[in-house]
Amino acid sequence: MTPTHHPKEEKLLEYFSGSLDEGMRLVVAAHLEMCPSCRRLLAGLEIAGGTYLDGLPAAPLGEHALERVLSRLDESEVSQPAPRAQAANDLPVQIRALAPHQLGRWRWIGPGVYWRSVTLSQQGPMRVFLLKAAPGTQLPQHTHDGTELTVILQGAFRHEGGRFGAGDCDDADDTVEHRPAVEEGEECICLVAMEGNIRLRGFLGRLIQPLVRL
Amino acid sequence: MPDESAIATHDHASLIVAVAKNRDRIAFAELFNHFAPRIKAFLLRGGTPAELAEELAQEAMLIVWRKAYLFDPAGASASGWVFRIAQNLRIDAARRAQRADRIATEFAVEPAEVDAPEAVVDAVQLEEKVRSAMAQLSPEQLKVITLSFFESRPHAEIAAILKLPLGTVKSRIRLAFLRLRALLDEVA
Ligand SMILES: [Zn+2]
Repeated sequence: MTPTHHPKEEKLLEYFSGSLDEGMRLVVAAHLEMCPSCRRLLAGLEIAGGTYLDGLPAAPLGEHALERVLSRLDESEVSQPAPRAQAANDLPVQIRALAPHQLGRWRWIGPGVYWRSVTLSQQGPMRVFLLKAAPGTQLPQHTHDGTELTVILQGAFRHEGGRFGAGDCDDADDTVEHRPAVEEGEECICLVAMEGNIRLRGFLGRLIQPLVRL
Repeated sequence: MPDESAIATHDHASLIVAVAKNRDRIAFAELFNHFAPRIKAFLLRGGTPAELAEELAQEAMLIVWRKAYLFDPAGASASGWVFRIAQNLRIDAARRAQRADRIATEFAVEPAEVDAPEAVVDAVQLEEKVRSAMAQLSPEQLKVITLSFFESRPHAEIAAILKLPLGTVKSRIRLAFLRLRALLDEVA
């Protein structure tokens, strides 16, 4: 099944141009692995960008620019194909983008709900974690004052914004108040990037709060 | 004079492969002559000062040399790949300039990793499809895609250029990308 919910255009473009922070980047990359439509869009934009570049009128460089660059080729002789990190985690769905990241252990945070940390190379305002919920679980209602990006790796949930199944991306903004309910059937596993403070309600909320604030 | 862009697509791809496989300096010089002045033009257009544009264009070509092994001729277009390097470099430079007053050493010359979108279909095939999809966009849609994507201009600046309200610009950009996605999905 191909995903029907995609990241917002700005996010895809920021991903493309390398301006997304590491956390968001990771979630968008996970979505791309599962979404042929977004891969096609980005590949298409890359080609179109190339055509645009080819068509620009040349702006001549300084007189000895080529010589200067040629003389610098050896000093920059470093890049070896970096060995692709092995996907060595125990997730039922293998996401290549996750492979270089260290995952914590699943921690119980409430009936049917588990949480797991994803370590980023730099600590910043963005946190990334995995969430696992048993079929039929009602996840805590929450709002937040930053951005949140979720990709569903397995299973499905529903909320006011629709049904979100494997590969779908829930690109929520700060005005949304969601109360996701996990569908019956498979357990639901999500990868979440979250910035800003989350405000959770109820019993699960109180349990999850200290963890997502880590 | 022969139309250079028409013969370029395939040639540039094999030149990048020659750089990757044989560290071929003649191939590199040829790539330099085509791309470096266009990368500079691209940067100038985005408002980069001339001196920095010159420097970054050279930097971009050094990245082409270093990262040539990452280029996959079966899955990516040569100029698209170079475009991506130039765009990444420009954004990285802007970011560095912003942070210069704080930590000057934080960013080495290495830009963000240039990892191409997964090859979904054969590059040549996709290229044709992209061409036909772009041809089906309205002039207004092409315009906003050019300004927002190719030239990475902020929405407010696009609104000023097109003399449109910000909200209209945002929805126009959104619709243009939706249409492009639909066209590319259709031909898949
Ligand atoms: Zn998508």
